[in-house]
Amino acid sequence: MGIIDLSVSIGSARLPNPVGVASGTFGYGGEYEELIDCSGLGALFTKAVTIEPRPGNALPRLVETPAGLINSIGLANVGIDRFLDEKLPDLSRFGCPVIPNVAGSTEEEYCSVLERLETNQVPAAYEINVSCPNVKHGGLAFGTDPHQIEHLTQKLRNLTKKPLIIKLTPNVTDITVIAKAAQNGGADALSCINTCVGMVIDVRKKRPVLSMKTGGLSGPAIRPIGVAMVYKVCRAVTIPVFGMGGIMSSDDALQYLLAGASAVQIGTGTFIDPALPITVINGIEQFCIQENIASVNLIRTLLND
Amino acid sequence: MIQTSAVIIANTKIAETLYKLDLALAEPVKPRAGQFLTIRISDTFTPLLRRPFAFSDFDEVSNTASIIYQVKGQGTELLRKYGPKTLLDIIAPLGKPFLYPQSTALPVLVAGGIGLGPILYLASSLQNQNIGFKLVFGCKNSRQLPSAVLSPFSPAICTDDGSTGFHGTVVDYLQTRNLSQKSTIYCCGPHPMLHACHQLAAERAAVCYVSVEQTMACGVGACMGCVVKVNGPTRYVRACKEGPVFNSKDIAWE
Repeated sequence: MGIIDLSVSIGSARLPNPVGVASGTFGYGGEYEELIDCSGLGALFTKAVTIEPRPGNALPRLVETPAGLINSIGLANVGIDRFLDEKLPDLSRFGCPVIPNVAGSTEEEYCSVLERLETNQVPAAYEINVSCPNVKHGGLAFGTDPHQIEHLTQKLRNLTKKPLIIKLTPNVTDITVIAKAAQNGGADALSCINTCVGMVIDVRKKRPVLSMKTGGLSGPAIRPIGVAMVYKVCRAVTIPVFGMGGIMSSDDALQYLLAGASAVQIGTGTFIDPALPITVINGIEQFCIQENIASVNLIRTLLND
Repeated sequence: MIQTSAVIIANTKIAETLYKLDLALAEPVKPRAGQFLTIRISDTFTPLLRRPFAFSDFDEVSNTASIIYQVKGQGTELLRKYGPKTLLDIIAPLGKPFLYPQSTALPVLVAGGIGLGPILYLASSLQNQNIGFKLVFGCKNSRQLPSAVLSPFSPAICTDDGSTGFHGTVVDYLQTRNLSQKSTIYCCGPHPMLHACHQLAAERAAVCYVSVEQTMACGVGACMGCVVKVNGPTRYVRACKEGPVFNSKDIAWE
């Protein structure tokens, strides 16, 4: 052990290992610190932050589905002021790379949040959330239009030298078009995939279960979709890709790495087993030992396809 | 809070729809009344999420805990089938506990159906502190009455059909009693019952603590899925972190 190089480069940032915890599933870190040693994480992607605090969507916000979970949280967050004053200082003590997830309703809002974040040393990179299916404005509207994605990415590119990671939605006809647009705009990396739009109807009440009617499906149910999209995206762009969607074991994570991802993020899986991110890091290291490769970055060369 | 394992000691039917699960915990968790644990019921991903249950009892010496559950979905249906020696993955203790009464007036503990769990643990905790209380339990009919777990606390029983005890709801019952103006009310049960208890307390300017039930995903405060609507600028707070016990005056009742 210890002979395997687990580190990965995302633009100018170097992550100690390829396993991050996904935005929206890990709060601001403190929620899980009694259950998991956050210093061992490859990266901690924070709950999305917007310029103003947002209360989030009406209830109910959650419904369980076969091997899945649909959420409609609605980017509930403390807003950039409290994020900078309270959350980022607290996040810095975990000792792992912290990557704020940036959201907004307009280009100006995304830019304002990023400019404010630039005043702080803690962020190792930024993940740009252009793929939230649970808000009325912004979010998915940006994520499904390649021109808007490219334009937004360019604007953000001009504001920071830190790595920009664009988080893509699977809810498009061809995700590679969006991926290329983000790359053209100057993105350093991509996160694939955000949740898939889903819906559950209560047959007895004859109405949708969620207050917003639809929400974002996550969990093992979407893993094959995520793997396929990562596989396609990795063949369409040259920048690194974070693979995510339904990772519940190190083999699941390895599917993403074999498909071409440089790193992975674990989300819903942490709800079910908070120890999962660490289990997956250890599993990936074991795989490298078994495969006799010195670096996790070589895993993607192993796919026989 | 810790993630640890627990071995089932017993999984017993205590009424028509209620079961009691006794667990030996691998590590000490020391929950207080009102707090809960989450159980990973299946590793096949259906059901996917951990399930939250309030502690209905805890013994510090033997490090054993109990929960009471109702079979009402995939998760609890699976749980019902687990026998002694089954190993479960738990996270505990979670959430905020009940606060002990500040008033010297006799507190009233009110449970409706599956809401019995946290109220039972509060009852035994108060008993251990030599604090007197009145326990009121309500259910649909005598078949749903878990007599064995209730009997140590000499409860008042209310049934919707009058088949046992008082004929009517727990709130109907409380309205017939000369409750002290200052009696703190502790309640857990269906939403309309909690709301009615809140109104009863509000009329008397008494304190009322309610333990709410919400669908949860993470159970630790990360996902913002289990929120409760409250008065004030925050609008929503997490049932798993700021709750599940709330002062009823803080909740935006609808």
